Amino acid sequence: MSRWLHVLREAGIGLGRNLLMTIAVVLSVAVSLTLFGAALLLSRQVDLVAGEWQGRIEVSIFLCDDARCPAITPEQQQQLRQELEAEPVVDEVFFESKQEAYERFVEQFEDQPALVETISPETLPASFRVKLTDPERFAVISDRFSAAPGVEEIVDQREFLEGFLGLANTIQTGALWVAVIQLVAGAVLIANTIRVAAFARREQTSVMKLVGASNWYIRLPFVLEGMFEGLAGAGIATGLLYLGYPFARDALAGQVSFVPIIGQDQVFSVALVLAGVGLGIAALSSVLSLQRSLDV
Amino acid sequence: MITLKNVTKTYKRGEVGEVVALDDVSLDVAKGEFVFIVGPSGSGKSTLMKLLTREQRPDGGEIYVAGKNLNTLRSWKVPHLRRSIGYVFQDFKLLPNKTVFENVSFALEVIGQGGSRIDRRVPEVLDLVGLEEKHDAMPHELSGGQQQRVSIARAFVNQPRLMLCDEPTGNLDPNTSVGIMKLLDRINRTGTTVVMSTHDQQIVDTMRRRVIELEKGTVVRDQSRGVYGYAD
Repeated sequence: MSRWLHVLREAGIGLGRNLLMTIAVVLSVAVSLTLFGAALLLSRQVDLVAGEWQGRIEVSIFLCDDARCPAITPEQQQQLRQELEAEPVVDEVFFESKQEAYERFVEQFEDQPALVETISPETLPASFRVKLTDPERFAVISDRFSAAPGVEEIVDQREFLEGFLGLANTIQTGALWVAVIQLVAGAVLIANTIRVAAFARREQTSVMKLVGASNWYIRLPFVLEGMFEGLAGAGIATGLLYLGYPFARDALAGQVSFVPIIGQDQVFSVALVLAGVGLGIAALSSVLSLQRSLDV
Repeated sequence: MITLKNVTKTYKRGEVGEVVALDDVSLDVAKGEFVFIVGPSGSGKSTLMKLLTREQRPDGGEIYVAGKNLNTLRSWKVPHLRRSIGYVFQDFKLLPNKTVFENVSFALEVIGQGGSRIDRRVPEVLDLVGLEEKHDAMPHELSGGQQQRVSIARAFVNQPRLMLCDEPTGNLDPNTSVGIMKLLDRINRTGTTVVMSTHDQQIVDTMRRRVIELEKGTVVRDQSRGVYGYAD
């Protein structure tokens, strides 16, 4: 028992001895892990969107409902469907009523109740959802049917999706690279503080060696010191991500409407990864740094 | 207790090339002996001490300490070797922020000895070295001789079979040194082997114990009941 108290006490002394340095290390680790966490969350967001849209019908033909153009008549709707089905590039045609559109919307955005509240079953237009044999040939549909009676708008969802995913990937890659560089800087800072700590306690360490203290017993306080810094950095990063989440969500929702957004709880599952990375990098750099300064 | 067979140790000194610290040294120290290692600075005394605790490893030859072959000893077992050796430094190496009691108990704590052994053994060994009144004193409040007594108490608290003393009286005046030597003699009488390197002619001549003299890395004299210089 007293051994563990000793180890913890020594780690505490090390952290307190150079408080400014400890703070610098923790903040540096926090910044890098925040970026890393943001990149991870972004990749989950991309997966969510991609999954949501996977296999979805590529072209939506929204039908008029008196809101912006005279409502489509049942005859026009019937004719439109027949013409679509006759088109060689068309694979399948589904009709989605206003009620179905509403239900799907509610399901898709259950994490964003504020958005759902602004919508009623009347708000969303009915649509034909058209799957093409060759998604590249969207123009055929668009040219032929944009001006058809009762058609409000034709949207190629694939193009929109690809734009969004491309942007997300760019941001994600950039954030990951900055995070990696920051993590290396954090690891070097940790290694340096551990070396300073080992130097400050070199007399005690030399006595411990000569009375036969085991290697792990001599090193553990230093490694714990480094791991504490890593863990504290991960904690702060998690806090920043949690607090930053609403802003990121609103910004994303403002940029692109009708995209599902990952829930705030995802921050906590990313937090576990951050804690693991923080602890792992801190332990590794402490051990490597001690390899040289505390060798038997 | 100690056996050296043809031990050689050289240091690489950059431009100067190699410096031979120990050259083909062989010697035996039996259990319970008291041995002085004498010789001028640079004769290899310190190197010998460092080889015995495996702070350094020889370039050639074999070393046995307390029944262990140091050449083949795994590095994770080195702490166990050191627990059977008490080491006393010329400059005491007490931890300045710990009391006398804590300096001694530290040696037991860091090898995982529990509270009851500390409570029993530390006062015992502080009595032995004559510091029963000084448990709570800080090192800077003590005289040099008293500090060396604390350092001896720390080395002896785990009841080692071997005490290595690296010029323990080197920083002390002659009168104080006599007290330290009486203490080491008492420890030797408990059956503990004592190996002490020294420059102190008066001590060696008074004690009349075995003397091993090193010069330029070789044993030039090994004499039981010897004196510092050659006896006339």
